[in-house]
Amino acid sequence: MNRFPVIIDCDPGVDDAVAILLAKQLPELDVRAITAVAGNVEAEKTYANAHKILHVANWDVPVFMGAAKPLIGAQITATGIHGVDGLGGVDVPGAVIPPAPQEAAWDAIYREAVAAKGELVLIAVGPLTNLAIAFGKYRALPELIKRIVIMGGAATLGNTTPAAEFNIYADPEAAEMVFQSGVPVHMVGLDVTLKSYLTAAEVDEIGAFGSEQAKFFHSILQNVLAFSTKLGLPGVSMHDPAAVLYAVEESLFTAEEAGVRVECKGRITRGKTVTDLYSDAQFPEKNAVVVTGVDRTAFVARVKELLKEY
Amino acid sequence: MKRIPIILDGDPGHDDAIAWVLANASPMLDIRAVTSCCGNQTIEKTTYNALRICTLIGLHAPFAMGRKRPLVSEPIIAPTVHGQSGLDGPALPEPDFKPLELDAVTLMAKVLRESAEPVTLVPTGPLTNIAALLLAHPELKGRIAHISLMGGGIAFGNWTPAAEFNILVDPEAARIVFESGIPITMAGLDVTERALVYPEDFERIRAVGNPVARVVADWLEFFYGFHRSMGYPGAPVHDAVAVAALVRPEILTMKPYYVQVETEGDFCKGATVADRFGVLGHAPNTNVILDIDRNGFVDLLVEAAEHYNKTEVGA
Repeated sequence: MNRFPVIIDCDPGVDDAVAILLAKQLPELDVRAITAVAGNVEAEKTYANAHKILHVANWDVPVFMGAAKPLIGAQITATGIHGVDGLGGVDVPGAVIPPAPQEAAWDAIYREAVAAKGELVLIAVGPLTNLAIAFGKYRALPELIKRIVIMGGAATLGNTTPAAEFNIYADPEAAEMVFQSGVPVHMVGLDVTLKSYLTAAEVDEIGAFGSEQAKFFHSILQNVLAFSTKLGLPGVSMHDPAAVLYAVEESLFTAEEAGVRVECKGRITRGKTVTDLYSDAQFPEKNAVVVTGVDRTAFVARVKELLKEY
Repeated sequence: MKRIPIILDGDPGHDDAIAWVLANASPMLDIRAVTSCCGNQTIEKTTYNALRICTLIGLHAPFAMGRKRPLVSEPIIAPTVHGQSGLDGPALPEPDFKPLELDAVTLMAKVLRESAEPVTLVPTGPLTNIAALLLAHPELKGRIAHISLMGGGIAFGNWTPAAEFNILVDPEAARIVFESGIPITMAGLDVTERALVYPEDFERIRAVGNPVARVVADWLEFFYGFHRSMGYPGAPVHDAVAVAALVRPEILTMKPYYVQVETEGDFCKGATVADRFGVLGHAPNTNVILDIDRNGFVDLLVEAAEHYNKTEVGA
């Protein structure tokens, strides 16, 4: 087995929580740190939620506090989907939230990158602010990161606006810095995450495994499930879990190299990830891999299998 | 059968030409005027091409030349796709008639005013003339039944990664049209890149045997040259889909969406953006064509070519 060092940068967030529950069960992932960023909810909450999720998972990983707002402008949140607390209003009794360490998320990312001697993989499933600040501060960082797997963007549609996906829309300038960093970015966007869904019955099935973790999984997903049904979707999209599984098991997915840039200026397209995947016109550089498809049956089976291990 | 009154507005262009061959062949359409716009080539070239096409197919509706350039943006032309003339390939007859001494907008306004029933516009180039019409004659908006256009794409572009050529050339005009409130049917890249005519289909059309059929086959050959170099298995006859939407909608799959046009941005100028999840809460303004029965489309083109067995044509 190929075990590799990883930092998970996230904004928990219900699907972030599921992503972390899965990450613990994947022996390939040597998770060196979790870095929290403002996104689905405010940064203090995403930091606290990361600790709560680790408590549920019974997992000891250092958590670092990251940016409280995007590079430019004010934070947007997604409390309508994730709840004002970010975990769908689900309590985690017994979780202790320590004060944030002195070391900031971007400094922790750099320190781990140096220690991993070029092998560090970043799995970033929130707005890309922490990564952008790290690249801004540390000139040598790009050569030290093996690859970046993000949940964010989409080749063909948006969700927060008609053109833009939430994580990119929340900090388009940061996203553009990451895509232009020189590190290959694997984009697990809406094209594939909308296909990586669990039906209500599948969520129930996992809840019935009976472990604390399975029950937590089931509770936090209820609000999102209701929201997804209202949108006419066939189930609840496992956005962030798809990025984690992609980092380990690419064979479940289909992906293509592409040029990707982030629109930071448009009147109605700010935050759109623009790819040349389907157009005659091509960007000069293939700076990304766009993940477009998933074997949903195998994906769901893998999610179940991993959660059953709790 | 009651025929649909239409105005053809285009920048021919091989696929505009084939769209007009199709429209002129259909007993369902009553072509009240033809206007040229700049796009694939300069207005002088597209106008000359338009007159030659009309001469070839015996289409002698009132004809007027459109604006020289987009409303705001600098002109962009597409010689890599359509050649230096804008309609390279087979020899065509010289025009046997002249444009009216009217601007395209004035002619369109006249047709709209004089028509007993509302008229459908079929723009297959940049939307410059249509926007200019809406700006100059807001009182005639109600006289436009519907706009069946080729342009845009809700998932991707062609001339830039995000934008399709016709919308990119005049995004401000496109914005005016999409915000007009007039019902729009959009034949964008979502469908037109599936409206592929394969080399074996060219031969089916050529075998129809009349002069128009032979020219259409030659146009397809030429048009496919560029697309073959891009890896396409056939020629995407974009503009003909906007006409197919009127004469054979049953071969198309459509979905209503609220569509907006990006007029700014580093990468997205000219993109048409559809609100797929209804996050803006705006009523749909556009029927977006998403798919086509390719065989049915080729059959339609063959039938159109056969129409010219019966008519006297200028070639």
